[in-house]
Amino acid sequence: MANFNIDSKKDRTYDAIVIGSGISGGWSAKELTEKGLKTLVLERGRDVQHIKDYPTTNMMPWEFPHREKLPKEITDANPIASRCYNFKESSAHFFVKDNEHPYVQEKPFDWLRGYQVGGKSLLWARQTQRWSKYDFEGPARDKFAVEWPISYDDIAPWYSHVEKFAGITGNKDGLDSLPDGEFLKPHELNCVEKYFKEQVSKQYKDRHIIIGRAAHITDPQQIHLDQGRAKCQHRTICERGCPFGGYFSSNSSTIPWAMKTGNLTLRPHSVVHSIIYDDKKQKASGVRVIDATTNQMMEFYADIIFVNAAALNTNLVLMNSTSSRFPNGLGNDSGVLGKYVAFHNYRASVSGEYEGFLDSTTDGRRPNGGYIPRFRNVYKQETDFLRGYAAGFSAYRQTSNDRSGLGESLKEGLQSTRYGNWGVGSHMMGETIPKESNYVALDKTQKDAWGIPLLNISVDYDDNDEKMIKDYVEQVSEMFTNAGFKNVKAHDGKRNPGNDIHEMGGVRMGKDPKTSLLNKWNQLHTCKNVFVTDGACMTSTSTQNPSLTYMALSARAVDYAVKQMKAKNL
Amino acid sequence: MERRIALKSMALAVGALANLPAWASGWTKESVVQTGFLSADQAKNLTAIVETMIPKTDTPGAGELGVSDFVQKMVKDCYDSKTQTGFASGISNLDEQSVQKFGKSFADSSKDQRLQLLKEFEASSDPTQKGFFSLTKNLTIQGYMTSEYVMTNITHYEMVPARYHGCVPVKK
Repeated sequence: MANFNIDSKKDRTYDAIVIGSGISGGWSAKELTEKGLKTLVLERGRDVQHIKDYPTTNMMPWEFPHREKLPKEITDANPIASRCYNFKESSAHFFVKDNEHPYVQEKPFDWLRGYQVGGKSLLWARQTQRWSKYDFEGPARDKFAVEWPISYDDIAPWYSHVEKFAGITGNKDGLDSLPDGEFLKPHELNCVEKYFKEQVSKQYKDRHIIIGRAAHITDPQQIHLDQGRAKCQHRTICERGCPFGGYFSSNSSTIPWAMKTGNLTLRPHSVVHSIIYDDKKQKASGVRVIDATTNQMMEFYADIIFVNAAALNTNLVLMNSTSSRFPNGLGNDSGVLGKYVAFHNYRASVSGEYEGFLDSTTDGRRPNGGYIPRFRNVYKQETDFLRGYAAGFSAYRQTSNDRSGLGESLKEGLQSTRYGNWGVGSHMMGETIPKESNYVALDKTQKDAWGIPLLNISVDYDDNDEKMIKDYVEQVSEMFTNAGFKNVKAHDGKRNPGNDIHEMGGVRMGKDPKTSLLNKWNQLHTCKNVFVTDGACMTSTSTQNPSLTYMALSARAVDYAVKQMKAKNL
Repeated sequence: MERRIALKSMALAVGALANLPAWASGWTKESVVQTGFLSADQAKNLTAIVETMIPKTDTPGAGELGVSDFVQKMVKDCYDSKTQTGFASGISNLDEQSVQKFGKSFADSSKDQRLQLLKEFEASSDPTQKGFFSLTKNLTIQGYMTSEYVMTNITHYEMVPARYHGCVPVKK
């Protein structure tokens, strides 16, 4: 920032501004800078540079004073973050502190956030399944939300584009419900997972067990080496940041790549207040930012603005961007901004044991798991609930030590490992239906530390979700039982919406400006130089982990935006 | 020799934590100087308890591996004040029993006497004594199993396995 001159408007003018540096913002930045645009990336949190700012990445387990458990003072002060599976002593520094960034829960909602360069791309679970044509056709076929303005064929080349660069491990499974991509060598299913795969394929013609597709470099290609990234080392402590760049994050991949073009200006500590609308030009002219270190309001200008603030914050920014033309939020003539928010239902899980393969175990660690693609209502509506669920499936050899004795006998017991049965487990990833009644809105009175209205979140489960949970439990329990697994138990964790970290919608894409905010190019229908390519743009949620789709949509939208800019249409 | 190496790298580990950037250490309660909450007597007895539970044999016991500091730290930082009070009074209670029975502090009693006292707590019908015993035993096991010595020399923790094989024979 040393050469940054806030007094000159010219020095605060760029070709493009990207709001947010997480998974989708990193991609927007990479694509814009590669196409030669001087690009400013605004990040509200601090800088996190690859390797240098991963303070726990090489710490041994015994170096953590509480062995990964967080002190009670911290969990008490951060009940929301504490409900995240990944919030622990080694990774807490990549999470937002509850009290520093409050929001209003009209209904219980665990909003999990990472405010730093790279955002949540440091913390994600790295599963990268493509959507299928059935996912994009869903709303139109089943008559919910609004029709997607794009099909699988529109996005398929962009999936390939981002997969090759990010590095995705997976197996070519040949399933139309889960299209194959540009995969690096797959991770291995273990013996019990393979056994289950065979059992399921014998008993159900439409159900499959596959290895997950994940953003790990199992087999580095030149493009990965060019990024300075190396092969995944199977440490499975990814949430600390990976010094090998073994998994994809903005920090290890897109941001440094954009930086190398010489076209990127990365500005951390920049809390976006709103997007500036120019009435005369009838388009957005820039972004208002509050510098988090000085509390000074400043403005930056650009021809193109990409909003990648993460789904709900993108809603907040647009809602807070009011002008005489857009009194209800930028691009919000339709009044649907903030509505039709949806998420993934991760509530239920099923566990069991298998008494076979007792002479076998696994060796090493695998940063991935098995996956059961959606099999409900794929080709036609066949149940009393809409849509369906995908599921994780993994097996592991249970081991234990004899902890019963005291003194020398206890010590002996602890030092010898006993093998038990294999454990098997599955968790659901259900598609939820976007509804007008699931919304976010600006609070009328309460503001945050920068004077920006707090976000009210009103998002809940519905009957469709309850029916789906029941079906998932029945179907997976039956599949487990049929495979000879014992001690099969189902569990409903009753987790709050948001805890899935897959919140989507509020600025959905659609064909009709009366019912959607964005067109098929992720462009605001009524403010053509503003693009939204993070989770906020999602028309429906499918069952697949969404990050890969955000990456592909970002790259696709940048390609369009730059072409339009060059044709002087923006 | 192994122990000296272990102690040396433990010191390094403490140094590494102290060097966390402010934004990261803001999430921990780590400080280089341990501020325990037990009295000197209680701390001495706790060391005797963990060593009795997991004693020195041909390999170091929990006492030598500093597990009592870990147990004390966990109780202080990760549990509520009721548990902390119960833990501290559990140690004092155990010591009183020792003085009554053997005329000596727990830490000064013989190995067999200490084992006997702990077994009485384990089997006690008093939920306070039983609760104290099981909390202390669980944390002692955790501290021992996750100590550098055990993870390096006994369970052979691998920081970088660089592999996953889904089906290998169980080693007999």
